[in-house]
Amino acid sequence: MNGFSLELPLTIIATLGAALTVTSARRGAWIALIIAVTAVALLEFHPTDTVPLTLVLRLAAIYGAILVALPPGLLTPRALIHDLAPRRIATTLTEHPVVAATAVAGLLLGAIPLALPIEGSSTLLRSAGVAMLLIGLPPLLTSRYVEATARAAVVTLSGALLLRGAILGPLDALSSLVIAGGFAALLLTGTAVAGQLTKAEEA
Amino acid sequence: MSDAQGLFILSAIRALAPLALALVSLAAVPLVSAERFGPSRLAATRARYLVVALLLLSGGAAFVAGAGVTSTFSIGEMSINPSQPGRLLVALGGPIFATIVSVGEGRRAGAMGQVALFGLAVIDIALAIPIGIAPIALLLVAGTSLAALAAGGKEDAERARAVFRDLRSAGVLITLTVVAELLRSAIPLSATDPTYATTASLTAGVALLLSLIVLTSIGAFPFHHRLVRIFDSLPIVGSLIVGVWIPAAITLIILSELSLLISAVREPIGGAILPILVATGAFTMLFGGLSALLHDDVGEVLGFFAVGSSGWLALGLAAVIIRPSTLAPHELVVPATLVISLFGIWRAAIRRRYDLVSLQDLTGWARHTSAIGLVLVGVILATIALPGGALWSARAEVIGASANVITVVAALASAAALVAAVLRVLLVGLSQKSREVERTQVRRVTHPVTVAMLAGTLLIAGAASGVIDVGSAASELLRPAPDATVVPGDLP
Repeated sequence: MNGFSLELPLTIIATLGAALTVTSARRGAWIALIIAVTAVALLEFHPTDTVPLTLVLRLAAIYGAILVALPPGLLTPRALIHDLAPRRIATTLTEHPVVAATAVAGLLLGAIPLALPIEGSSTLLRSAGVAMLLIGLPPLLTSRYVEATARAAVVTLSGALLLRGAILGPLDALSSLVIAGGFAALLLTGTAVAGQLTKAEEA
Repeated sequence: MSDAQGLFILSAIRALAPLALALVSLAAVPLVSAERFGPSRLAATRARYLVVALLLLSGGAAFVAGAGVTSTFSIGEMSINPSQPGRLLVALGGPIFATIVSVGEGRRAGAMGQVALFGLAVIDIALAIPIGIAPIALLLVAGTSLAALAAGGKEDAERARAVFRDLRSAGVLITLTVVAELLRSAIPLSATDPTYATTASLTAGVALLLSLIVLTSIGAFPFHHRLVRIFDSLPIVGSLIVGVWIPAAITLIILSELSLLISAVREPIGGAILPILVATGAFTMLFGGLSALLHDDVGEVLGFFAVGSSGWLALGLAAVIIRPSTLAPHELVVPATLVISLFGIWRAAIRRRYDLVSLQDLTGWARHTSAIGLVLVGVILATIALPGGALWSARAEVIGASANVITVVAALASAAALVAAVLRVLLVGLSQKSREVERTQVRRVTHPVTVAMLAGTLLIAGAASGVIDVGSAASELLRPAPDATVVPGDLP
């Protein structure tokens, strides 16, 4: 992957995906999450000639957890076309102007250098990281829906990891393994608890 | 067998035994529950015996293999360095949770034993791996996953909501851990350019974030709600692992990290963090103690007792920031964990025998079942601890570090309130027997479960009060200070 040519589109995709994850309805949110975490992983691990094992591990853990969490038959080509249509995305974002404004503010805020020793820092990665933190944190703290909270947790944590990656580079193998497991655990626990709550409320 | 081979085997046992035994339980519990091993009505009993044996083995393996073996076990590029606190927690946790599972009995004893096995295995690994994001993130993720496992199997909305709260906390705390690690990694670089943040300000930022992680995970005020709900709704094994043991491991890691960080900075970094930590610690103790005294539900009484006990750890954080060389806060962690666990054994026994949750319905329980009464006497003795012993010195040092009369008064008052809360439960048990208590069948004192409960009480109360010296093993830093001498035997 050519880092210089793809960093900007990946930053936009990651931020847009994060915003749609916290604003879309159930299926759209899962699809947006898949796109957001893929863009974040590519930005964070920056694969060039070879694909790092840590990147494969991260994506495998999240995709696996989302596949388990998704109700069967939800991820169809028609659904993807419907949810990723530009008009649909624009409608969703205009219905949630605060989230859209937060995403833009995050991107701008991240472009300002932090008061940290950041000689090696990437502005685009930092922007995407700050934007995702700002997008994910409010629903993580306030949402009443378990699955939405789990998705917001993934967005927020991805933002923090991107911010960290902007300054210190990708995680070491052990931390990467733990974080990949953490992503999967957050999503699976969220799904299990949501199912348990639904059953308990129906009973 | 050569010495090197023996050392390698012992290191492998030490490093992997708790995890290996937890993994074994995944296959063994369903296997012994199968009909070919006996009638299906006894499946839960067989599973219980198995997990009790595995828990005892886990504790025993950590104890035996760890003694005197300070080697590092390497798997590829990853090294697992045996740590005193990790070994101590598993060595104590094995028999303690074996006792709780034995006393609690019940249909899900096998699953609860597995929750304990995995909880201890995660604590062991987290305290053994190098510092950074990994150990804290591992503990936080494991806590939420184990809470979900403990809550499973019952369509109970309260349980599900307790896990939901835990999931939310884990999401926030892992993010904070990543940000804290980012700032911590930037500290050595800060000296390179004076226009950026200073070393002291970065260290203060890390200390604030790490303190926030500890305060939230231990359930200090105002983050107590999660802990109380966990104790009120989850089974006791899950409550203790998620609400007490995993937070204790997180606290040990962070106390160790704060000691090393702050001792490397010349300027005082307390600033606004110290008054907040001292006030939080003192208020948490007072709030927890008084709330435990005023509540009627035994789960809530235990939950608020745990909240009150966590106040000591919050004060410990302040003490480490004031005097980074002090090891007194480290010495408070294990006894606090043991006292709450002993109270947990009491709750499991009461739940099994009476199936009542209200103290109003439980009047006369201690007169009816004196063996369970002895467990609560053990809790009281362990809470007070041996006067003049190491725990008293550690408490005095932690309170004294704040150098604040209000803190001293609040700490003494709340320590008295915590003892009074347990004493009140005992006095309820010594009053006139209620109808429900009267008609409950009593088990003879020589019953193996009762004997195990009393033996466990003696062990835990002795260890928590300082009669049996176990605290010293957890009062070490998880990794040596930079200027410390490295013993050649410690090298891989």
